[in-house]
Amino acid sequence: MDEKQGIIQVRGLSKSYGEILALSGVSFSVAAGEVFAYLGPNGAGKTTTISILCGLLSPDAGLVDVCGLKLANHPVEVKSRIGVVPEESNLYPELTCRRNLEYLGELYGLTRKARRQRAAELLDSFSLAEKASRPYKSLSRGMKRRLTIAAALIHSPQVLFLDEPTAGLDLQSARALRVLIREIHRTGTTVFLTTHNLSEAEELAHRVAILLKGRLVAIGTVPEIRRRVSQAEAMSVSFSGQPAVSALLAACPAVKKAGLENGHLRLEVSGTHEALTQLVSFAQSQGIRIMEIATITPSLEEAFLTLVSDPTKGAPA
Amino acid sequence: MSQWRKIFFLSRKDMESYYAKPPLVTWGLLFPAVLLLALYLKDPGTYAAVTPGIIAMTLLFGNTSMAAIVVTFEKRSGTLVRLLLAPLSNRTIILGKAASAALYGLATALVLCLGLALCLGLAVNSLFFFAAGLFLGAAVFSLLGLLASLAVQEVFEAMTLLNFFRFPALFISGVFIPLPEFPAWLIPLATISPLTHVVELLRYGLTGACFFPTPWIPLSVLAVFLVLSLLAAEPLFRCRAYQ
Repeated sequence: MDEKQGIIQVRGLSKSYGEILALSGVSFSVAAGEVFAYLGPNGAGKTTTISILCGLLSPDAGLVDVCGLKLANHPVEVKSRIGVVPEESNLYPELTCRRNLEYLGELYGLTRKARRQRAAELLDSFSLAEKASRPYKSLSRGMKRRLTIAAALIHSPQVLFLDEPTAGLDLQSARALRVLIREIHRTGTTVFLTTHNLSEAEELAHRVAILLKGRLVAIGTVPEIRRRVSQAEAMSVSFSGQPAVSALLAACPAVKKAGLENGHLRLEVSGTHEALTQLVSFAQSQGIRIMEIATITPSLEEAFLTLVSDPTKGAPA
Repeated sequence: MSQWRKIFFLSRKDMESYYAKPPLVTWGLLFPAVLLLALYLKDPGTYAAVTPGIIAMTLLFGNTSMAAIVVTFEKRSGTLVRLLLAPLSNRTIILGKAASAALYGLATALVLCLGLALCLGLAVNSLFFFAAGLFLGAAVFSLLGLLASLAVQEVFEAMTLLNFFRFPALFISGVFIPLPEFPAWLIPLATISPLTHVVELLRYGLTGACFFPTPWIPLSVLAVFLVLSLLAAEPLFRCRAYQ
Protein backbone atom coordinates (compact mmCIF):
# COMPACT_ATOMS: atom_id res chain seq x y z
CA MET A 1 0.00 0.00 0.00
CA ASP A 2 1.23 3.47 -0.81
CA GLU A 3 1.08 5.30 2.52
CA LYS A 4 1.11 8.68 0.75
CA GLN A 5 -2.07 7.79 -1.10
CA GLY A 6 -3.90 7.07 2.14
CA ILE A 7 -5.16 4.07 4.04
CA ILE A 8 -8.70 4.95 2.91
CA GLN A 9 -9.24 6.28 -0.59
CA VAL A 10 -12.66 7.21 -1.85
CA ARG A 11 -13.21 8.39 -5.42
CA GLY A 12 -16.48 9.57 -6.92
CA LEU A 13 -18.72 7.77 -4.46
CA SER A 14 -22.43 8.02 -5.25
CA LYS A 15 -25.44 6.32 -3.73
CA SER A 16 -29.18 6.84 -4.13
CA TYR A 17 -32.15 5.33 -2.32
CA GLY A 18 -34.80 5.48 -5.00
CA GLU A 19 -35.33 9.16 -5.75
CA ILE A 20 -33.25 10.30 -2.79
CA LEU A 21 -29.63 11.12 -3.54
CA ALA A 22 -27.63 10.13 -0.44
CA LEU A 23 -24.10 10.66 -1.81
CA SER A 24 -22.97 12.45 -4.93
CA GLY A 25 -19.39 12.21 -6.23
CA VAL A 26 -17.74 12.11 -2.81
CA SER A 27 -13.94 11.83 -2.95
CA PHE A 28 -11.42 11.98 -0.10
CA SER A 29 -8.40 10.24 1.29
CA VAL A 30 -7.45 9.42 4.88
CA ALA A 31 -3.75 9.08 5.73
CA ALA A 32 -2.52 6.15 7.80
CA GLY A 33 -2.37 7.02 11.48
CA GLU A 34 -4.58 10.11 11.36
CA VAL A 35 -7.83 10.86 13.15
CA PHE A 36 -10.29 11.92 10.47
CA ALA A 37 -13.63 13.42 11.47
CA TYR A 38 -16.55 13.18 9.08
CA LEU A 39 -19.15 15.80 9.93
CA GLY A 40 -22.53 16.77 8.64
CA PRO A 41 -26.09 17.44 9.77
CA ASN A 42 -28.63 14.61 10.03
CA GLY A 43 -29.34 13.09 6.64
CA ALA A 44 -26.12 14.43 5.10
CA GLY A 45 -24.94 10.94 4.13
CA LYS A 46 -22.45 10.17 6.93
CA THR A 47 -23.90 6.78 7.84
CA THR A 48 -24.27 5.87 4.17
CA THR A 49 -20.57 6.62 3.66
CA ILE A 50 -19.47 4.62 6.70
CA SER A 51 -21.74 1.71 5.67
CA ILE A 52 -20.13 1.66 2.22
CA LEU A 53 -16.59 1.87 3.64
CA CYS A 54 -17.33 -1.07 5.97
CA GLY A 55 -18.79 -3.24 3.23
CA LEU A 56 -22.40 -3.11 4.47
CA LEU A 57 -23.67 -1.21 1.42
CA SER A 58 -22.69 -1.23 -2.24
CA PRO A 59 -22.25 2.16 -3.91
CA ASP A 60 -24.02 3.00 -7.17
CA ALA A 61 -20.77 4.47 -8.47
CA GLY A 62 -17.27 5.17 -7.26
CA LEU A 63 -14.24 3.32 -5.96
CA VAL A 64 -13.22 2.56 -2.40
CA ASP A 65 -9.78 1.29 -1.38
CA VAL A 66 -9.20 0.40 2.27
CA CYS A 67 -5.78 -0.73 3.55
CA GLY A 68 -4.56 -0.97 -0.04
CA LEU A 69 -7.35 -3.34 -1.10
CA LYS A 70 -10.24 -2.66 -3.44
CA LEU A 71 -13.31 -3.10 -1.26
CA ALA A 72 -15.47 -4.30 -4.17
CA ASN A 73 -13.04 -7.15 -4.93
CA HIS A 74 -11.87 -8.09 -1.43
CA PRO A 75 -14.69 -7.38 1.04
CA VAL A 76 -13.79 -10.18 3.47
CA GLU A 77 -10.08 -9.24 3.55
CA VAL A 78 -10.95 -5.57 4.12
CA LYS A 79 -13.29 -6.53 6.98
CA SER A 80 -10.46 -8.43 8.66
CA ARG A 81 -8.39 -5.22 8.75
CA ILE A 82 -10.99 -2.77 10.03
CA GLY A 83 -12.94 -2.42 13.26
CA VAL A 84 -16.36 -0.79 13.40
CA VAL A 85 -18.19 0.77 16.32
CA PRO A 86 -21.79 1.38 15.18
CA GLU A 87 -23.90 4.23 16.54
CA GLU A 88 -25.92 1.79 18.63
CA SER A 89 -23.91 -0.58 20.85
CA ASN A 90 -24.82 -4.04 19.60
CA LEU A 91 -23.04 -6.82 21.41
CA TYR A 92 -24.76 -10.01 22.53
CA PRO A 93 -26.85 -9.13 25.59
CA GLU A 94 -26.83 -12.54 27.23
CA LEU A 95 -23.09 -13.20 26.83
CA THR A 96 -20.60 -11.98 29.42
CA CYS A 97 -18.18 -9.18 28.57
CA ARG A 98 -15.31 -11.64 28.25
CA ARG A 99 -17.32 -14.09 26.12
CA ASN A 100 -18.44 -11.28 23.80
CA LEU A 101 -14.82 -10.33 23.15
CA GLU A 102 -13.64 -13.93 22.81
CA TYR A 103 -16.49 -14.79 20.43
CA LEU A 104 -15.59 -11.89 18.15
CA GLY A 105 -11.95 -13.00 18.40
CA GLU A 106 -13.09 -16.42 17.13
CA LEU A 107 -14.83 -14.82 14.14
CA TYR A 108 -11.72 -12.78 13.33
CA GLY A 109 -9.58 -15.92 13.32
CA LEU A 110 -7.56 -15.38 16.51
CA THR A 111 -6.12 -18.49 18.16
CA ARG A 112 -7.55 -19.47 21.54
CA LYS A 113 -4.48 -18.18 23.37
CA ALA A 114 -4.41 -14.92 21.39
CA ARG A 115 -8.10 -14.15 21.90
CA ARG A 116 -7.97 -14.87 25.64
CA GLN A 117 -4.91 -12.69 26.03
CA ARG A 118 -6.32 -9.88 23.88
CA ALA A 119 -9.70 -9.98 25.66
CA ALA A 120 -7.96 -9.70 29.03
CA GLU A 121 -5.81 -6.80 27.78
CA LEU A 122 -8.81 -4.92 26.42
CA LEU A 123 -10.95 -5.50 29.52
CA ASP A 124 -8.09 -4.16 31.57
CA SER A 125 -7.32 -1.11 29.41
CA PHE A 126 -11.01 -0.21 29.11
CA SER A 127 -11.46 -0.53 32.91
CA LEU A 128 -13.91 -3.41 32.53
CA ALA A 129 -11.85 -6.18 34.13
CA GLU A 130 -14.13 -6.26 37.17
CA LYS A 131 -17.16 -6.70 34.94
CA ALA A 132 -15.60 -9.46 32.82
CA SER A 133 -18.01 -12.14 34.04
CA ARG A 134 -21.11 -9.94 33.97
CA PRO A 135 -23.53 -10.21 31.04
CA TYR A 136 -23.35 -7.32 28.58
CA LYS A 137 -27.02 -6.47 29.20
CA SER A 138 -26.27 -5.66 32.86
CA LEU A 139 -23.74 -2.90 32.03
CA SER A 140 -24.41 0.84 32.15
CA ARG A 141 -24.68 2.74 28.85
CA GLY A 142 -21.13 4.10 29.16
CA MET A 143 -19.71 0.66 29.92
CA LYS A 144 -21.61 -0.85 26.99
CA ARG A 145 -20.07 1.78 24.74
CA ARG A 146 -16.59 1.03 26.07
CA LEU A 147 -17.06 -2.70 25.57
CA THR A 148 -18.36 -2.10 22.02
CA ILE A 149 -15.19 -0.15 21.22
CA ALA A 150 -13.07 -2.87 22.86
CA ALA A 151 -14.87 -5.46 20.71
CA ALA A 152 -13.98 -3.53 17.56
CA LEU A 153 -10.32 -3.66 18.59
CA ILE A 154 -10.16 -7.39 19.37
CA HIS A 155 -8.22 -8.13 16.16
CA SER A 156 -6.01 -5.00 16.37
CA PRO A 157 -7.45 -3.39 13.21
CA GLN A 158 -5.51 -0.91 11.08
CA VAL A 159 -8.56 1.35 10.78
CA LEU A 160 -11.22 1.97 13.41
CA PHE A 161 -14.56 3.41 12.30
CA LEU A 162 -16.42 5.18 15.11
CA ASP A 163 -19.99 6.23 14.38
CA GLU A 164 -21.09 8.86 16.93
CA PRO A 165 -18.99 7.30 19.71
CA THR A 166 -20.13 9.58 22.52
CA ALA A 167 -23.80 10.00 21.52
CA GLY A 168 -26.08 9.61 24.52
CA LEU A 169 -23.29 9.49 27.10
CA ASP A 170 -23.03 11.71 30.17
CA LEU A 171 -20.22 14.30 30.20
CA GLN A 172 -17.89 12.23 32.36
CA SER A 173 -18.25 9.08 30.25
CA ALA A 174 -17.90 11.08 27.02
CA ARG A 175 -14.69 12.69 28.28
CA ALA A 176 -13.30 9.30 29.37
CA LEU A 177 -14.15 7.90 25.94
CA ARG A 178 -12.31 10.74 24.19
CA VAL A 179 -9.23 9.93 26.26
CA LEU A 180 -9.59 6.30 25.13
CA ILE A 181 -9.87 7.34 21.48
CA ARG A 182 -6.65 9.34 21.81
CA GLU A 183 -4.96 6.29 23.36
CA ILE A 184 -6.20 4.07 20.52
CA HIS A 185 -4.78 6.55 18.01
CA ARG A 186 -1.44 6.54 19.86
CA THR A 187 -1.13 2.82 19.13
CA GLY A 188 -1.00 3.69 15.42
CA THR A 189 -4.61 2.93 14.55
CA THR A 190 -6.21 5.20 11.97
CA VAL A 191 -9.49 6.55 13.33
CA PHE A 192 -12.43 7.51 11.11
CA LEU A 193 -14.92 9.34 13.27
CA THR A 194 -18.40 10.63 12.61
CA THR A 195 -19.87 12.94 15.20
CA HIS A 196 -22.42 15.68 15.74
CA ASN A 197 -20.25 17.04 18.53
CA LEU A 198 -18.07 19.62 16.78
CA SER A 199 -15.93 20.40 19.81
CA GLU A 200 -15.18 16.68 19.98
CA ALA A 201 -14.06 16.71 16.34
CA GLU A 202 -12.02 19.84 17.00
CA GLU A 203 -10.39 18.18 20.00
CA LEU A 204 -9.63 14.81 18.40
CA ALA A 205 -9.29 15.16 14.65
CA HIS A 206 -6.26 15.99 12.55
CA ARG A 207 -8.48 16.62 9.56
CA VAL A 208 -12.16 17.19 9.11
CA ALA A 209 -14.53 16.66 6.19
CA ILE A 210 -17.93 18.32 6.07
CA LEU A 211 -20.73 16.68 4.16
CA LEU A 212 -23.95 18.44 3.16
CA LYS A 213 -26.82 16.81 1.28
CA GLY A 214 -24.52 14.05 0.02
CA ARG A 215 -21.78 16.40 -1.20
CA LEU A 216 -18.42 17.12 0.40
CA VAL A 217 -18.27 20.88 0.94
CA ALA A 218 -15.03 21.20 2.90
CA ILE A 219 -12.05 19.09 3.82
CA GLY A 220 -8.88 20.04 5.63
CA THR A 221 -7.44 20.73 9.05
CA VAL A 222 -9.65 22.62 11.50
CA PRO A 223 -7.61 25.89 11.13
CA GLU A 224 -7.81 25.56 7.31
CA ILE A 225 -11.58 25.22 7.40
CA ARG A 226 -11.95 28.10 9.83
CA ARG A 227 -9.85 30.31 7.55
CA ARG A 228 -11.84 29.37 4.48
CA VAL A 229 -15.16 30.29 5.97
CA SER A 230 -14.18 33.52 7.71
CA GLN A 231 -14.86 36.33 5.22
CA ALA A 232 -12.56 38.77 6.99
CA GLU A 233 -10.06 38.34 9.77
CA ALA A 234 -11.23 39.69 13.09
CA MET A 235 -9.52 41.19 16.11
CA SER A 236 -10.60 42.20 19.57
CA VAL A 237 -8.94 45.20 21.20
CA SER A 238 -9.37 47.29 24.34
CA PHE A 239 -7.70 50.63 25.06
CA SER A 240 -6.94 52.47 28.32
CA GLY A 241 -9.35 55.19 27.11
CA GLN A 242 -12.34 55.14 24.82
CA PRO A 243 -11.34 56.40 21.36
CA ALA A 244 -13.88 57.56 18.77
CA VAL A 245 -14.63 54.73 16.36
CA SER A 246 -14.70 57.17 13.41
CA ALA A 247 -11.18 58.38 14.31
CA LEU A 248 -9.95 54.80 14.55
CA LEU A 249 -11.41 53.90 11.15
CA ALA A 250 -9.86 57.00 9.61
CA ALA A 251 -6.42 56.34 11.10
CA CYS A 252 -6.34 52.59 10.39
CA PRO A 253 -7.20 51.78 6.74
CA ALA A 254 -6.66 48.04 7.44
CA VAL A 255 -9.64 48.13 9.84
CA LYS A 256 -12.78 47.71 7.76
CA LYS A 257 -15.39 47.66 10.50
CA ALA A 258 -15.45 48.38 14.22
CA GLY A 259 -18.06 47.82 16.89
CA LEU A 260 -18.31 47.46 20.64
CA GLU A 261 -18.76 43.92 21.93
CA ASN A 262 -18.58 42.97 25.64
CA GLY A 263 -16.53 46.06 26.50
CA HIS A 264 -14.02 45.35 23.72
CA LEU A 265 -13.83 46.75 20.22
CA ARG A 266 -14.41 44.01 17.66
CA LEU A 267 -12.59 44.89 14.47
CA GLU A 268 -12.90 43.32 11.04
CA VAL A 269 -9.54 43.74 9.40
CA SER A 270 -7.83 43.02 6.12
CA GLY A 271 -4.46 41.72 7.31
CA THR A 272 -3.80 41.43 11.03
CA HIS A 273 -0.16 42.53 10.75
CA GLU A 274 -0.99 45.84 9.01
CA ALA A 275 -3.89 46.46 11.36
CA LEU A 276 -1.70 45.83 14.41
CA THR A 277 0.92 48.36 13.25
CA GLN A 278 -1.76 50.96 12.50
CA LEU A 279 -3.50 50.37 15.85
CA VAL A 280 -0.23 50.89 17.77
CA SER A 281 0.38 54.18 15.89
CA PHE A 282 -3.22 55.24 16.48
CA ALA A 283 -2.95 54.57 20.25
CA GLN A 284 0.28 56.60 20.44
CA SER A 285 -1.30 59.50 18.50
CA GLN A 286 -4.33 59.48 20.86
CA GLY A 287 -2.15 59.21 24.02
CA ILE A 288 -3.81 55.98 25.12
CA ARG A 289 -2.48 52.46 25.66
CA ILE A 290 -3.55 49.14 24.20
CA MET A 291 -4.62 47.07 27.21
CA GLU A 292 -5.52 43.85 25.42
CA ILE A 293 -5.45 42.68 21.81
CA ALA A 294 -6.29 39.30 20.27
CA THR A 295 -7.08 37.83 16.90
CA ILE A 296 -10.47 36.14 16.63
CA THR A 297 -10.84 32.94 14.70
CA PRO A 298 -14.24 31.28 14.28
CA SER A 299 -14.75 28.01 16.16
CA LEU A 300 -15.33 24.86 14.13
CA GLU A 301 -18.97 25.15 15.16
CA GLU A 302 -19.21 28.66 13.68
CA ALA A 303 -17.41 27.49 10.56
CA PHE A 304 -19.77 24.51 10.30
CA LEU A 305 -22.86 26.69 10.66
CA THR A 306 -21.51 29.08 8.02
CA LEU A 307 -20.97 26.17 5.65
CA VAL A 308 -24.44 24.81 6.29
CA SER A 309 -25.92 28.18 5.30
CA ASP A 310 -23.51 28.74 2.37
CA PRO A 311 -21.65 25.60 1.20
CA THR A 312 -19.62 27.54 -1.44
CA LYS A 313 -17.47 28.99 1.36
CA GLY A 314 -15.89 25.57 1.96
CA ALA A 315 -14.02 25.59 -1.35
CA PRO A 316 -10.28 26.26 -1.04
CA ALA A 317 -9.25 29.83 -1.88
CA MET B 1 -8.81 -19.77 9.18
CA SER B 2 -11.11 -22.33 7.68
CA GLN B 3 -14.64 -21.08 7.17
CA TRP B 4 -15.77 -24.42 8.66
CA ARG B 5 -14.24 -23.44 11.99
CA LYS B 6 -16.09 -20.14 11.79
CA ILE B 7 -19.34 -22.00 11.06
CA PHE B 8 -18.64 -24.04 14.19
CA PHE B 9 -18.03 -20.88 16.27
CA LEU B 10 -21.22 -19.26 14.95
CA SER B 11 -23.34 -22.31 15.78
CA ARG B 12 -21.72 -22.84 19.17
CA LYS B 13 -22.50 -19.26 20.16
CA ASP B 14 -26.14 -19.64 19.03
CA MET B 15 -26.49 -22.92 20.92
CA GLU B 16 -25.10 -21.19 24.00
CA SER B 17 -27.28 -18.10 23.63
CA TYR B 18 -30.58 -19.43 22.39
CA TYR B 19 -30.94 -23.19 22.21
CA ALA B 20 -29.35 -24.78 25.24
CA LYS B 21 -32.08 -23.42 27.51
CA PRO B 22 -34.32 -25.80 29.46
CA PRO B 23 -37.61 -24.08 28.44
CA LEU B 24 -36.80 -24.46 24.74
CA VAL B 25 -35.81 -28.11 25.02
CA THR B 26 -38.91 -29.03 27.00
CA TRP B 27 -41.10 -26.96 24.62
CA GLY B 28 -39.69 -28.88 21.67
CA LEU B 29 -40.05 -32.25 23.40
CA LEU B 30 -43.23 -32.08 25.42
CA PHE B 31 -45.75 -31.59 22.60
CA PRO B 32 -44.63 -34.53 20.42
CA ALA B 33 -44.03 -36.77 23.46
CA VAL B 34 -47.50 -36.15 24.87
CA LEU B 35 -49.10 -36.60 21.44
CA LEU B 36 -47.32 -39.91 20.86
CA LEU B 37 -48.15 -41.15 24.36
CA ALA B 38 -51.83 -40.32 23.84
CA LEU B 39 -51.89 -42.18 20.52
CA TYR B 40 -50.08 -45.14 22.08
CA LEU B 41 -52.57 -45.35 24.91
CA LYS B 42 -55.45 -45.19 22.43
CA ASP B 43 -54.05 -47.76 20.00
CA PRO B 44 -50.43 -49.02 19.75
CA GLY B 45 -51.01 -49.70 16.04
CA THR B 46 -51.84 -46.03 15.31
CA TYR B 47 -48.83 -44.98 17.37
CA ALA B 48 -46.46 -47.07 15.21
CA ALA B 49 -47.97 -45.68 11.99
CA VAL B 50 -47.68 -42.03 12.97
CA THR B 51 -44.33 -42.08 14.85
CA PRO B 52 -42.22 -41.19 11.74
CA GLY B 53 -44.68 -38.39 10.95
CA ILE B 54 -44.58 -36.98 14.50
CA ILE B 55 -40.76 -37.04 14.56
CA ALA B 56 -40.72 -35.28 11.17
CA MET B 57 -43.30 -32.75 12.44
CA THR B 58 -41.10 -32.08 15.50
CA LEU B 59 -38.20 -31.31 13.15
CA LEU B 60 -40.38 -29.15 10.90
CA PHE B 61 -41.82 -26.94 13.63
CA GLY B 62 -38.73 -26.84 15.85
CA ASN B 63 -36.20 -26.05 13.15
CA THR B 64 -38.20 -23.60 11.05
CA SER B 65 -39.34 -21.70 14.17
CA MET B 66 -35.97 -21.51 15.85
CA ALA B 67 -34.05 -20.48 12.73
CA ALA B 68 -36.65 -17.81 11.98
CA ILE B 69 -36.80 -16.51 15.57
CA VAL B 70 -33.03 -16.28 16.00
CA VAL B 71 -32.35 -14.50 12.70
CA THR B 72 -35.29 -12.10 13.07
CA PHE B 73 -34.26 -11.34 16.66
CA GLU B 74 -30.67 -10.66 15.63
CA LYS B 75 -31.82 -8.46 12.76
CA ARG B 76 -33.89 -6.37 15.16
CA SER B 77 -31.30 -6.18 17.95
CA GLY B 78 -28.53 -5.21 15.53
CA THR B 79 -26.32 -8.17 16.39
CA LEU B 80 -26.67 -9.58 12.86
CA VAL B 81 -24.76 -6.48 11.71
CA ARG B 82 -21.84 -7.72 13.87
CA LEU B 83 -21.65 -10.78 11.64
CA LEU B 84 -21.94 -8.71 8.46
CA LEU B 85 -19.01 -6.57 9.64
CA ALA B 86 -16.85 -9.59 10.47
CA PRO B 87 -14.65 -11.28 7.86
CA LEU B 88 -17.24 -13.93 7.06
CA SER B 89 -18.74 -14.84 3.71
CA ASN B 90 -22.52 -14.78 3.40
CA ARG B 91 -22.46 -18.56 2.97
CA THR B 92 -20.56 -18.97 6.25
CA ILE B 93 -23.15 -16.93 8.12
CA ILE B 94 -26.06 -18.83 6.52
CA LEU B 95 -24.49 -22.21 7.28
CA GLY B 96 -23.59 -21.18 10.83
CA LYS B 97 -27.14 -20.04 11.58
CA ALA B 98 -28.74 -23.06 9.86
CA ALA B 99 -26.35 -25.49 11.57
CA SER B 100 -27.27 -24.31 15.07
CA ALA B 101 -31.01 -24.56 14.34
CA ALA B 102 -30.47 -27.99 12.76
CA LEU B 103 -28.50 -29.17 15.80
CA TYR B 104 -31.31 -28.01 18.08
CA GLY B 105 -33.85 -29.97 16.01
CA LEU B 106 -31.63 -33.04 15.85
CA ALA B 107 -31.01 -32.98 19.59
CA THR B 108 -34.75 -32.67 20.30
CA ALA B 109 -35.61 -35.48 17.87
CA LEU B 110 -32.89 -37.75 19.24
CA VAL B 111 -34.04 -37.25 22.84
CA LEU B 112 -37.61 -37.99 21.72
CA CYS B 113 -36.49 -41.17 19.92
CA LEU B 114 -34.41 -42.26 22.89
CA GLY B 115 -37.41 -41.78 25.18
CA LEU B 116 -39.64 -43.74 22.79
CA ALA B 117 -37.06 -46.53 22.56
CA LEU B 118 -36.72 -46.79 26.33
CA CYS B 119 -40.40 -46.40 27.24
CA LEU B 120 -42.33 -47.79 24.27
CA GLY B 121 -39.75 -50.07 22.64
CA LEU B 122 -39.20 -48.05 19.47
CA ALA B 123 -36.80 -50.02 17.23
CA VAL B 124 -34.71 -48.87 14.27
CA ASN B 125 -34.70 -50.96 11.09
CA SER B 126 -32.08 -48.99 9.09
CA LEU B 127 -29.93 -46.62 11.08
CA PHE B 128 -28.47 -45.09 7.91
CA PHE B 129 -31.81 -44.03 6.39
CA PHE B 130 -33.22 -43.01 9.77
CA ALA B 131 -30.18 -40.80 10.46
CA ALA B 132 -30.29 -39.46 6.88
CA GLY B 133 -33.96 -38.53 7.36
CA LEU B 134 -33.22 -36.72 10.61
CA PHE B 135 -30.14 -34.94 9.27
CA LEU B 136 -31.56 -33.87 5.89
CA GLY B 137 -34.91 -32.91 7.43
CA ALA B 138 -33.21 -30.76 10.07
CA ALA B 139 -30.99 -29.08 7.48
CA VAL B 140 -33.77 -28.37 4.93
CA PHE B 141 -36.22 -27.08 7.57
CA SER B 142 -33.58 -24.84 9.18
CA LEU B 143 -32.83 -23.27 5.82
CA LEU B 144 -36.56 -22.79 5.18
CA GLY B 145 -36.87 -21.00 8.54
CA LEU B 146 -33.91 -18.82 7.63
CA LEU B 147 -35.42 -17.98 4.24
CA ALA B 148 -38.68 -16.95 5.92
CA SER B 149 -36.86 -14.77 8.45
CA LEU B 150 -35.01 -12.95 5.65
CA ALA B 151 -38.20 -12.22 3.78
CA VAL B 152 -39.82 -10.34 6.71
CA GLN B 153 -38.98 -7.99 9.59
CA GLU B 154 -40.89 -9.34 12.60
CA VAL B 155 -41.02 -12.75 14.29
CA PHE B 156 -44.81 -12.94 13.96
CA GLU B 157 -44.54 -12.22 10.23
CA ALA B 158 -42.02 -15.05 9.87
CA MET B 159 -44.34 -17.41 11.78
CA THR B 160 -47.33 -16.42 9.64
CA LEU B 161 -45.35 -16.94 6.47
CA LEU B 162 -44.08 -20.32 7.68
CA ASN B 163 -47.56 -21.45 8.71
CA PHE B 164 -48.73 -21.02 5.11
CA PHE B 165 -46.33 -23.84 4.34
CA ARG B 166 -46.31 -25.86 7.58
CA PHE B 167 -50.00 -26.54 8.13
CA PRO B 168 -50.83 -27.51 4.53
CA ALA B 169 -47.63 -29.62 4.58
CA LEU B 170 -48.95 -31.56 7.63
CA PHE B 171 -52.07 -32.35 5.62
CA ILE B 172 -50.42 -33.42 2.36
CA SER B 173 -47.25 -35.12 3.59
CA GLY B 174 -48.50 -38.35 5.16
CA VAL B 175 -47.86 -37.27 8.74
CA PHE B 176 -51.18 -38.52 10.13
CA ILE B 177 -52.59 -40.42 7.13
CA PRO B 178 -50.23 -42.81 5.27
CA LEU B 179 -49.70 -41.87 1.58
CA PRO B 180 -51.22 -45.13 0.22
CA GLU B 181 -54.55 -44.02 1.73
CA PHE B 182 -54.42 -40.64 -0.08
CA PRO B 183 -56.72 -39.93 -3.04
CA ALA B 184 -54.79 -40.20 -6.29
CA TRP B 185 -55.07 -36.48 -7.08
CA LEU B 186 -53.27 -35.59 -3.85
CA ILE B 187 -50.22 -37.78 -4.48
CA PRO B 188 -48.44 -35.40 -6.95
CA LEU B 189 -48.90 -32.59 -4.43
CA ALA B 190 -47.47 -34.79 -1.65
CA THR B 191 -44.34 -35.55 -3.64
CA ILE B 192 -43.37 -31.87 -3.91
CA SER B 193 -43.43 -31.41 -0.13
CA PRO B 194 -40.04 -31.95 1.58
CA LEU B 195 -41.93 -33.11 4.68
CA THR B 196 -43.27 -36.13 2.74
CA HIS B 197 -39.74 -37.25 1.96
CA VAL B 198 -38.56 -36.81 5.55
CA VAL B 199 -41.56 -38.84 6.78
CA GLU B 200 -40.91 -41.62 4.25
CA LEU B 201 -37.17 -41.78 5.03
CA LEU B 202 -37.89 -42.01 8.75
CA ARG B 203 -40.63 -44.57 8.10
CA TYR B 204 -38.18 -46.71 6.16
CA GLY B 205 -35.56 -46.21 8.86
CA LEU B 206 -37.98 -47.38 11.56
CA THR B 207 -40.15 -50.00 9.83
CA GLY B 208 -38.45 -50.89 6.55
CA ALA B 209 -41.58 -49.77 4.65
CA CYS B 210 -41.64 -46.80 2.27
CA PHE B 211 -44.23 -45.36 -0.10
CA PHE B 212 -41.58 -44.93 -2.81
CA PRO B 213 -40.01 -47.94 -4.59
CA THR B 214 -36.68 -47.28 -2.85
CA PRO B 215 -35.64 -45.07 0.10
CA TRP B 216 -32.96 -43.56 -2.14
CA ILE B 217 -35.72 -41.54 -3.87
CA PRO B 218 -36.74 -39.47 -0.81
CA LEU B 219 -33.08 -39.22 0.17
CA SER B 220 -32.14 -37.83 -3.26
CA VAL B 221 -35.13 -35.48 -3.34
CA LEU B 222 -34.18 -34.10 0.10
CA ALA B 223 -30.59 -33.61 -1.05
CA VAL B 224 -31.92 -31.60 -4.01
CA PHE B 225 -34.16 -29.56 -1.64
CA LEU B 226 -31.11 -28.89 0.53
CA VAL B 227 -29.03 -27.58 -2.37
CA LEU B 228 -31.95 -25.51 -3.72
CA SER B 229 -32.61 -23.97 -0.29
CA LEU B 230 -28.96 -23.03 0.05
CA LEU B 231 -28.89 -21.57 -3.46
CA ALA B 232 -32.01 -19.55 -2.69
CA ALA B 233 -30.72 -18.41 0.71
CA GLU B 234 -27.51 -16.81 -0.58
CA PRO B 235 -29.00 -14.18 -2.92
CA LEU B 236 -31.87 -13.51 -0.50
CA PHE B 237 -29.39 -13.01 2.35
CA ARG B 238 -27.26 -10.67 0.20
CA CYS B 239 -30.36 -8.70 -0.73
CA ARG B 240 -32.20 -8.58 2.64
CA ALA B 241 -29.70 -8.93 5.49
CA TYR B 242 -27.79 -5.78 4.50
CA GLN B 243 -30.89 -3.54 4.44
